[in-house]
Amino acid sequence: MRVTWFHALRGFVTVRISGEGTERLLGEAAADGIELLHLRRTSRGELECIVTAGDFFRLRPHLKRTGCRIRIARKSGLPFLMAKVRRRKFFAAGMALFFAALYLLSSLVWRVEIEGNERIPDEEIFAAARAEGLRPFQWSFRLPDSAELARRLQGALPGAAWVGVEKRGTLVRIHIVESTEPEPRELLSPRHLVASEDAVVTRIVATRGRPVVKKNQRVRKGDVLISGILGSEGNFVTVPAEGTVRGLVWHEYDIVSPLVRKAKTYTGERRTVWHAVLGRRSLKVSGFGPPPFEKYESVLHQENAAWRGIVLPVGRIRETQLEVRYEERRLTEREAIAVGLMQARADLLRKAGADAVIRAEKILHRRTENGKVYMKVLFEAEQSITEERPLVQLQGE
Amino acid sequence: MRRISRRLRHWTARVLELPQDVVFDLPRLTMIGDRQLHIENHRGVIHFSPDRLSLRLPNGSLEIAGKGLVIRGIWAEEMFVEGVITQVSINGQGA
Repeated sequence: MRVTWFHALRGFVTVRISGEGTERLLGEAAADGIELLHLRRTSRGELECIVTAGDFFRLRPHLKRTGCRIRIARKSGLPFLMAKVRRRKFFAAGMALFFAALYLLSSLVWRVEIEGNERIPDEEIFAAARAEGLRPFQWSFRLPDSAELARRLQGALPGAAWVGVEKRGTLVRIHIVESTEPEPRELLSPRHLVASEDAVVTRIVATRGRPVVKKNQRVRKGDVLISGILGSEGNFVTVPAEGTVRGLVWHEYDIVSPLVRKAKTYTGERRTVWHAVLGRRSLKVSGFGPPPFEKYESVLHQENAAWRGIVLPVGRIRETQLEVRYEERRLTEREAIAVGLMQARADLLRKAGADAVIRAEKILHRRTENGKVYMKVLFEAEQSITEERPLVQLQGE
Repeated sequence: MRRISRRLRHWTARVLELPQDVVFDLPRLTMIGDRQLHIENHRGVIHFSPDRLSLRLPNGSLEIAGKGLVIRGIWAEEMFVEGVITQVSINGQGA
């Protein structure tokens, strides 16, 4: 009655039957069990109907008997489609190949990503993954399932507390949670702490090793402060000595401080000159003529045209010419001394370390000559005086 | 003899309340509005055109008039007609 998928599977033809005895043909066909569907008269008096491919051949003898002629108008259904495919072998092969390629390429692992690692280097994780077969261009179906893979990766990566493997299509993402490890201990070789300067000890705290000197004791450069040898003669161990030793150190400075200072000041007068920039060349476009100032400084400010974050090689330079004047300032002797001492103090702190404290300072000698003040100053600074000396010679004994 | 068998069949049909078409080899027509007609127990097509369809029945003929008539399916004893059906008449149907 209706053209169903069953008809489509078996294949059916739309035929046009012409001749006088079409009605008789219908009767005979029906009696023979031939199924005719969608019968209608065309405007030219032919009978159009649909018949299955198998029934079409059974219709033949009836046609002869009733004197009708048959013409195939259209062929539809799977067998005819297959015949068409058979004629176009390469097209069909291409289609099959496309689906095969789509399937194969989508079952490859295209990319492996790593997430969450900070200390463990990527290379190490990639190497571990590669050892388990997880690498780009690997077949997905050759990989064990994600949980198994994660378990094996965790075994291979001792620094990871947890490893997760997530498969998303052709992308495999490895999540790593690193285990928190305690800071590794600093490896120290046995050593003494010795004095770095001639000093008077003000404070000695040995956290490791044996203190040799006492507070208020004078030490020379190179004297042992904290010994790294524990125990008595012939029965000792060597340790890396640790601790803080502070002492008063004398620093002598020869200071020269001039009485005249030159200072640069801006007068406030300014002029703006514009330049056009193209590539690496610039062309002055305004502010011609010699500068109206005797002495000046130029401040350049370049602006390039940009579009969506792309800087174009076209722009402008604003040159601001600022008039300057050099002023000479005369200092009194006291001011010059103060400036000189300040500079010396800064230099001392830089050399002795930030935790140094200046306990006393004394100007030993002072003279003013040629517009300069010459001074000799003694600073007494309390600072760390330790220096490491390795115990190499004792290692073999 | 024929008379006796026919009367017997009449009687059986009445007593057992069997449908008449089963017993007497009559056509059964099922019509849905003016657009579909299902005919069972026909004996072949006499004439078929978009305006007129006439069928042979076991006893006489069936005339269908309409517009744009199409036979949706035809089998040994069944037929399914679609189109605008204006008239259905049965000729020479005697029991």
